[in-house]
Amino acid sequence: MSDVELYIFNYDKDKEEAAKAAKNTARRLVEKDVKLLSLIESIGQYLNSDEAAKRTKALSYLAEVLEALPPKTLTGQQRNLLCDFLVSRIADESETLPICARALLALDDLGPWETEKSVTMMTNILENTHPLSQYKLQSQRYPVLNLIDRLLAKYRKVLHELHDASQEFMSRFVSYFDAEKDPRNLMLVFSILLVPMTEWDIHSHAQELFDAVFNYFPITFRPPPNDPYGITAQDLKDRLRHCIAASADLAPYAFPALLDKLDSTSMNTKRDVLQALSSCVENYGPHTISLYSVTLWDALKFEVLQVQDDDLAQEALSGLTNIATQLSKGSTGALTVYLKPIAKEANEHLEDAPTKQSQAAAQILENISASSTASSNFIFGAVLPTLFALYGSADTTAKRRGLIEVLNGLIRANLRVYGEWRSIDTRESLVTDNSDQQTLNSLSTFSSQVLDVLLQGLHSTPIKEVSYRLVALDTLANLTKARNILNDEDVSRVISLLDDIVLNEESYGNDDVKTAAMNSLVSVAQQKPQLIIDKAFPTFMAKLPDSDRNDTVEYVGILEAFAQMSKEPKVFQTIMVRLRNKLYDAIKLQASPQFIQAVLAAMIFAVKQNPTALVGTSTECSYYEELVRPLIQMATSAISSSPLTDPGVVELIGKLSNAVIQQQNLEFQASTTGHLPYGLWGGTESELFPSFAPNASPQQVQLLLISTHLLAALRRDIEIRPEYQELLTNLKRVVQSSQTSSIVKQTAVQQISLVINKFVPRDKLSFVVDLTPSSLRESENITSANNDDFRIAFAATKGLLLRNAPVVTEMVQRLLEALSATSAGLTAARGFAMFLQPDELLTKENYCVISPLYRQKLFQLATSTITTQFPSASSAVKRNYLIALSGILRYLPYTVIEPQLSPLTPLLLQMLDLSGETDVKAAAIDILITVLVQQPEPLEEHASSVISRLLNATTADSNPPNVRSRALHCLALVPKKLKTEVVIPFRRQVVKRLTEALDDRKRAVRIEAVKCRSQWIELDEAGDDEE
Amino acid sequence: MDPDKDNANPTIINPSDLPTRRRQSDNISSIKRRTDGGTGLFDGLIPAIARSSHAYDPFAAPLPVDSDASSPSSSDFGDDDVLEEIDEQEIYDLIAPISDPEHPLTLGSLAVVNLPDIHIVPPASTASRISTVRVLITPTITHCSLATVIGLGVRVRLEQALPPRFRIDVRIKEGTHSTADQVNKQLGDKERVAAALENGTLMGVIRKMLEGCDNVNE
Repeated sequence: MSDVELYIFNYDKDKEEAAKAAKNTARRLVEKDVKLLSLIESIGQYLNSDEAAKRTKALSYLAEVLEALPPKTLTGQQRNLLCDFLVSRIADESETLPICARALLALDDLGPWETEKSVTMMTNILENTHPLSQYKLQSQRYPVLNLIDRLLAKYRKVLHELHDASQEFMSRFVSYFDAEKDPRNLMLVFSILLVPMTEWDIHSHAQELFDAVFNYFPITFRPPPNDPYGITAQDLKDRLRHCIAASADLAPYAFPALLDKLDSTSMNTKRDVLQALSSCVENYGPHTISLYSVTLWDALKFEVLQVQDDDLAQEALSGLTNIATQLSKGSTGALTVYLKPIAKEANEHLEDAPTKQSQAAAQILENISASSTASSNFIFGAVLPTLFALYGSADTTAKRRGLIEVLNGLIRANLRVYGEWRSIDTRESLVTDNSDQQTLNSLSTFSSQVLDVLLQGLHSTPIKEVSYRLVALDTLANLTKARNILNDEDVSRVISLLDDIVLNEESYGNDDVKTAAMNSLVSVAQQKPQLIIDKAFPTFMAKLPDSDRNDTVEYVGILEAFAQMSKEPKVFQTIMVRLRNKLYDAIKLQASPQFIQAVLAAMIFAVKQNPTALVGTSTECSYYEELVRPLIQMATSAISSSPLTDPGVVELIGKLSNAVIQQQNLEFQASTTGHLPYGLWGGTESELFPSFAPNASPQQVQLLLISTHLLAALRRDIEIRPEYQELLTNLKRVVQSSQTSSIVKQTAVQQISLVINKFVPRDKLSFVVDLTPSSLRESENITSANNDDFRIAFAATKGLLLRNAPVVTEMVQRLLEALSATSAGLTAARGFAMFLQPDELLTKENYCVISPLYRQKLFQLATSTITTQFPSASSAVKRNYLIALSGILRYLPYTVIEPQLSPLTPLLLQMLDLSGETDVKAAAIDILITVLVQQPEPLEEHASSVISRLLNATTADSNPPNVRSRALHCLALVPKKLKTEVVIPFRRQVVKRLTEALDDRKRAVRIEAVKCRSQWIELDEAGDDEE
Repeated sequence: MDPDKDNANPTIINPSDLPTRRRQSDNISSIKRRTDGGTGLFDGLIPAIARSSHAYDPFAAPLPVDSDASSPSSSDFGDDDVLEEIDEQEIYDLIAPISDPEHPLTLGSLAVVNLPDIHIVPPASTASRISTVRVLITPTITHCSLATVIGLGVRVRLEQALPPRFRIDVRIKEGTHSTADQVNKQLGDKERVAAALENGTLMGVIRKMLEGCDNVNE
């Protein structure tokens, strides 16, 4: 049997076999085993058969053979020949068109045909198969639509000519697709019709075209569940919208039709209308829009002024704004015609401000003003006179506030189109190529009036009118930002008012106004740094005492102000000079440590905001020469009565030095600061390390504090002196001495971690292992380990853990073994908290080696040991395991804990039973909270014990307030996160027990109790509904 | 205007003008007012060493059982021995966030409940523990048909949120409602209140009003 016979034979019975036959032919064609001509001849007899079914099958065979052919198998001549043949078959009889379309698509995939053939094809289709809806099956229409879509994509020009040549073509073309309903086909129809709509002259056919697509508006299609085609309503909506917005010629039909649908009661329809309108406005062009602008305003305004739905209002608002944006591109007259009624209506609403309508009007004004400079200018001119008149005659502060809010919106919009002071450089380059930008900003006409109203308002309104003053302040700040509006004198007036509020005004409420004024000063500092330096600084400095001998504490607020303003780099330098002078004066005058601490804190805050400003060269750094060095000198030579012996002051000097030195490059650090940490003592090379014992002088203690921060600031490549071996041995000796004070021990321990992390080479780590006290190196000696041994072991392990050195596994294991010791175990247990707790010295900024996975490593080591040893541990040491575990878990993110959650949950619950360990309890509750939020299911089996333990944690007799409060918060999440049927049995008990917490001694706890209890009460009521 | 509402366009108080607990008198809130007049900008910088005599040191030999003083987490709460009484502002904070049944606004911002109209009457004798909370509510307009519902909502809220030693008395403020006497009778009558709360529709409305009060953030 030949392939074609095989195909026809199997056509109805076995599609796969049939396809195989077609593929076989295709292969033989490629291999030139069979010629195209003989192929056509072989099917000829079937094509001319008397049975219609046979003819269709033969054509289908041809289509499948073509589909199976790789490109370039057929010559151009052959393709054209086949094309002619297929075109002639199109109109043969009702069944053949879809198959021809398939074959033609396949043919086109093999290579293009002569363009004129497309014209014949199109004409043939339209004349003989109109309308498409006569083909009942979607699968029949689909290839035809695909073919037409292809024609429009690849042979657009000739089809365009066809349209230009004939008046009837378009009508026939458009009506061809009538009554299409399938979403897959509609996607194609919209895409087909979009071509003539966008590119061809369709003036005389606009209505037909518009109706053809608008018939489908609004799209209410909802895809069936598990839709295999993946076409959503949104896809259809988007294509339809593009069609509607395709050409300005559609405007006379589109606008009335859309506005008519805007009255629909369906929110979805309204949303589609508003989005379509927006698209039309964007695409139809200024001239067309100007014809409809006022009509559109009259329709759209209601959506904004009488809000039904916030997102509809937003759509309408963006539509209105788009109109203004488009009109601004056209003639000024058109824009004015549009804006006039808007301003008029807005002014009417402002009369009874503040109402919802006045707020909506303000929104419209702000958005439209922001559309272009011309809009902004027009609105200012049309609205501000009314606004000022209303303001003058307003009888309540609420009304004045409402009006200022409108003003604020207009100024914000003005900032968007005209820019701020600080954007002055970038804006100016833009101005030159756009003449529109050079029009005078109308805000400047009104600026002095606006300024007067605001200054006057802030002066004269009582301080308890917080909301009014906040709005006025914000408006003032925005006005000051506006480029080229206020002159320096005006800005100075603003600054002095802000100074006055921050410094002199009496405190009220939560001091929101003072905070806002401070923020405004910061924002002015960004726009006009020099004016802040000239005007604000003297006032602030005058208020800042040289010392706090008169028991005043006002200075903290002022110092905070300075610190905040230093965010602006231009101001930073001046602030540092002023504060430095203040600091030296204070030291000279023996001010209290608190005052000096505050000044230092302000400087550190400023320095941290501007790290790059600190960077010096390889040989010099002014902040080091003029600030750090003198300070360290003063601190190291201070006599005992000096405020510089205060540990807090010393610590801050250390931090400030750290922040400065950290930023310097390697050369500078090596030549100037490398020797510093222990050069401070001025000892000779042979005795670089001071003894610290048995009776270390206060100066020595301070030196140690400072040297820690200096060590931290050094880059890893610096060679420290003394070398690490000597340094570590000495530090160990200091820690182990019974004479050393707790502060010195803690500091020495920090240095041990730092040095081990940064300065011990990778191949010398055995030195660190040997440094560990012998009691913690061999298991049998563990019971003899004392607190200082633990200090050293933990510090050394921490330094290694962060750099993820291999030896650390063993060291952590030793420490874990110590947990089983009766006496030393508790100390070891508490030590585990220091591994992961936030550390401000061991950081990347301080050039420490921080492995990204050290948390996971510690967690893995610790949990595997603890979960296996805990069950068999004696009851006396069980708590050690729990405390150690809690010390690790409390600093871990949830994702790290998650995989181990199920073995850990019972331990977490037992942590809640530990008496006296409030930190452990608090940590356990916090972890439970995270688990409840992230993945509560595993807790369901423990519901009873979780609930009863949390209830116990809410009682006042054995729990501090923070534990009570967190426990209540956690308990409130339980009914929200666990299944209702799991928690409902506990409802009565919980609600009853919680009456006690409602009467807690502490207000913050009561607030949580109320929240928690109402969650549980609600639980029942929600349950009732379901029954 | 929406005809279904008694008062479609009420006056709204801006949130920043509502009465709040001054941080000064508040030695418990986590954002406590500072004695130094600052905002705490430098708190993270001033080292623990300077604030207390010693920093938390896990190895400093045996810790006292009550380690509150050294654990930083509990410092926000102040001294646990200081008793903070339930006061008028606290009552206000409980009921001000209740939503109005016909506006998406709170009773506080509509000035239906006001701080000066809340009174706590201490126990009459030393033998009694029972205090009375009296709340006067001000309907937005004198013929407000929902005054009873609002009153009930306030009552339910306080019954759920206050310990049982408080008796709750909710009334309409004198001269602010045309049928205040009737409403007050209804609100004051225990049995009528109980009967009203059996009514599913009414409870549904009240639950909706109380919805926004206790948002448990995660």
